[in-house]
This record gives sequence, structure tokens and C-alpha cells, in this order.
Amino acid sequence: MSEAAAVRAEGLIKRFGSVTALAGVSLQLKRGETLGILGDNGAGKSTLIKILTGFHRPDGGQIFVAGQPVALGSVDEARALGIDCVYQDLALVNGLSVYHNLFLNRELRRPGPFRLLDHGAMRRRAAQALAEIGIELASVEIEVGALSGGQRQAIAVARAVSSNARILLLDEPLAAMGAREARLIIDLIERLKARGDIAIAMIAHNYAQTLEICDRVILMQHGRITFESTAAATSAAELLEIIRREYRSARQGPG
Amino acid sequence: MALIVYFELTNANFLTNANLETLSQFVATPAIIACGEIMLLICREIDLSVGNVFALAPFIMEKAHDAGLPVVAAIAAALLVSALIGLAIGLFTIRLNVPSFISSLGMFFLVNGITLTISHGFPANTPGGPFLTNLMGGWGYAEILWAFTIVAVMHVVLRHTRWGLHTTAVGGNITAAAEVGIRIDRIKIGNFVLTSTLGGFAGLLEAFRIGSTDPLAGGSNIMFQGVASGVIGGTALGGGSGTIVGGLVGAIVLGVLQDGFTLQGINAFTFNIIIGGAILIAMVANIHLPRLRRRGAG
Repeated sequence: MSEAAAVRAEGLIKRFGSVTALAGVSLQLKRGETLGILGDNGAGKSTLIKILTGFHRPDGGQIFVAGQPVALGSVDEARALGIDCVYQDLALVNGLSVYHNLFLNRELRRPGPFRLLDHGAMRRRAAQALAEIGIELASVEIEVGALSGGQRQAIAVARAVSSNARILLLDEPLAAMGAREARLIIDLIERLKARGDIAIAMIAHNYAQTLEICDRVILMQHGRITFESTAAATSAAELLEIIRREYRSARQGPG
Repeated sequence: MALIVYFELTNANFLTNANLETLSQFVATPAIIACGEIMLLICREIDLSVGNVFALAPFIMEKAHDAGLPVVAAIAAALLVSALIGLAIGLFTIRLNVPSFISSLGMFFLVNGITLTISHGFPANTPGGPFLTNLMGGWGYAEILWAFTIVAVMHVVLRHTRWGLHTTAVGGNITAAAEVGIRIDRIKIGNFVLTSTLGGFAGLLEAFRIGSTDPLAGGSNIMFQGVASGVIGGTALGGGSGTIVGGLVGAIVLGVLQDGFTLQGINAFTFNIIIGGAILIAMVANIHLPRLRRRGAG
């Protein structure tokens, strides 16, 4: 391993009471790489993401960021290391404008005793940040609630990227989205990949779409990674076959 | 505007200096209280007790003055007590998870009881020399000037400070606000303190204007006028949006109605029916015309 991975996890274990959500998961993610995390509900995908964002603390294992061992004690600590997650609920305030959302809690302010908000600078910088990752909006003053699901997702991604996230975790970015909306997000991910400085891991359910977007995929089952491949070397049919086989053996039972 | 024209056309006394002065006094108190309630409504809280803080503050001032403090220090003491009442409501609401509708209702009775106890149920005279008295509300237009000043400051706070933006964010999507690291507790408790302090301040102005304090002043009526002003002015009852200037407009509408109908000699019973109808219509518009509201907020 000559080049240190952007993020690497070794032997992550997480238990909730008697349930083992992660039973020793190791993975790594290089700069500029996009990883798809597939698997059924309850396979441990969300737990894995939540450990990487500092939301949960693992019961065992170690995380390395840029080669250095780190303990992610909180979401803020993970963010300081450049790890950010765009959740399904998107964490946007619908009643506020796009630029207010982009700068929420890291607002630009004017100098002076009252430190008033610098709306003009925020508008300009927001428009710039969106243009940089190729998101087109009529105006950054539009209320987020007036945007489509895909556009909102793009705004949430833009916020993470513009606040210097270099390891971007996406929790089902394409869920419940029509074809055109999904295209918007897929194109956005492609552009982020092309920049080369951002590592992306995304949870997804649509195998064909995931293989189209990602460089590499992993399949999680019962808290373990059971299959790992480059996107080019596998197919949706193969992934489905693995799931089906597993399902069959589970039905037949251990004895 | 239509209301003002109507009352001017039907009553020669409406736009006279004397009546404008009276009208300004009708408007000032609800406008000041609306400033606080609007901030609370935006972050999905309410303070029902503010009308009784309005009544308590002048008595605190008088007691502090009787105890030997200069009037200015006594005013500060009254504002401090008002702020502490807001802090208490905030702590009950945020730390102990009592909905503010209930915690401030409890405080409503508690504060009223304290006012009646320390005043023994009797009015008291407002202390202070002529300059301070005039400044604080004795002069006919002092109260409305204070109201305009507070409205202007609060408008800037809501639209042009982090505090205002975060208040809106907390009311709009509390999960999102927490997600980006906004300290929700601080925002909400701070707005309770603000509302209560403004309520106390409005009470002091009224005491200086009238020259004495009635232990039965304020109460739920003043509080509801403040909330109604905010809602008539477009503040969403569900939180997340609202404007301070709208609250001033709401207070003016209520004031013009009250003053105009009084001049026309409509009796108090009928008057409440009209005010009630006006508020209901405004609430329906508030809920069903969100697009208009958004345009107004821009």
C-alpha cells in the first residue's frame, strides 16, 4: 500500500445489546474513488456509515484517516477531519434560501461591532460553490422547499463539499427519485469523481445504478462484507445471485 | 390603509393630533410584545405569561425604588426580574421538557400571584423625575417611538444576525439545525428571556405614561394582542417564518380597529365580536395564503 488510503477501517465491530450490527468490517477508500455499499436492510450499512461519521463509536476495530489512526468521538470531530455525510433527511431548512442553507452555522459576517450577516458575500460565494460542482439554479435566493428532491440533495452535497469535506458519505442518495432527478445526482457524483480529491462512499439499493456510478462495490450481509469487487469485474446479475444464494441457505437453516 | 381611510371618512376626529396620540398608545404595547412573541413563534414556542410580567415589572421598579435605589437602577432591576422569569420559562421548557404552552401558563398564574402579593392589590405611583418620565412614556409619543425603535432593532436581529437566522432554522427544521451544530437550547431560552424582558419593558413604559400602576393591568389580553399582531402580520403559527415589521402592521391594524370603533361609539361588547372576527379571518389567511406570506417575508 504505497499511497495512504483517504480512509481505512480495520475490523470494525458494533453491538447494540445482543444484536451484532457489525462483526468485523474492514475496508478502505482512496482519494478520488467511489465505493458503493450494497446489502439488505439490517445488513449493517447504516451502522458502518454512522461509525465513519462519528455518530456511533465502534466496540472494536480501528479507523485511519490519511494513514493516521483516529478516534471519532463525535460528528464534529469527524467533520474536522474532512468526513461528512449527507443523510436522507438532508438536514436542510426548507423555509430558508439556498445560500442560507449552504452557510448555516458558518455564516459570513461583516466586520464591525454587530457582526451582521453579509448576505451579499454569502450569495456570491454560494453561487460560486454551486457553479464549481456544476449545479444550475435560477437563483441562490430560492427557498430550498421550492426545489425538487434531486436539487435539494445536490444542495446538501454542495454544502458538505464547500465546507471542505474530502470523504463524502452518501446515505441512499438515489432513493425515491425519478429518472431525471437521479440523473442530476449521478452527474454530480461523476463531476466530484472527476475532481479527483474527494472519496465517496454511498449506500444504495439499485445494483445497476450503483455499478454505473461506482468504481468499486461491496456487499454486506449480517454485519460482514461478503463480496467485494471492482464495478467492471461484476454485474448486477452476479450480485443478485449472491444474495439469492444466501437467502436460500438461510431458509434451509443451519441444520 | 383602507381601515384608516374608512375611519377618517366616517369620523372627523380620527386623524387629529389628539387621536393619533391615543392611537399610538394603543399600538405601542402590542407592537413591543409582538417583537418577542414573533421570535418565539418562529422557533416554535410561545410565552403566555408576558402580560403578567408586563404588570409585575412596574411594581418591582417601585419596590426597588422604595428600597433606596435610584430610578434608573430600579428600572434595571425590573428588567432583570423580567429576564429571569423568561429564563425560568425557558429552563422549564427546554431542560424539563414541559411544552412552553404549559410552562408559561404556569408562570402566568405565578407571576400574577406575585404581583398581587407584593402590591397588596393596590395601585402604586410611578417614581421618577419629569425628564425620565417623559422619556419613558410620559410624553404622548414616547411609547410609540420606543416601539418603533424596538421594532427596527428586532427587524435587524431577525434578518441580519446569526441569532435571527438560527431562530428561523430551529423553527423550520430542528433536526437540520442540530445537524449543523446550532445550539437549539441557547436559541430558545434566549428568545424566552428576550420576550419576557420586552414584556417587562412595555409594562414600565405604560406605568410611566399613566403615572401609576394597576396590579390588574396587562394579563392575557395584552399577551393575546401581541400574539395576534404577529399572526395578523404573517408569522406562521407552525414556526419557521415570520416578520417583525409584519407584527408592527398587525399591531397597527388592531390599534386602528380598537381606536376607530371606540370613536364611533360602538360598545365594548360589539367591539370584541369585531376584533374576534378580524383575528379569525387573519388566522385563516395566515394558514391558507402561504404564498402571499412568503412574498411578504422577502
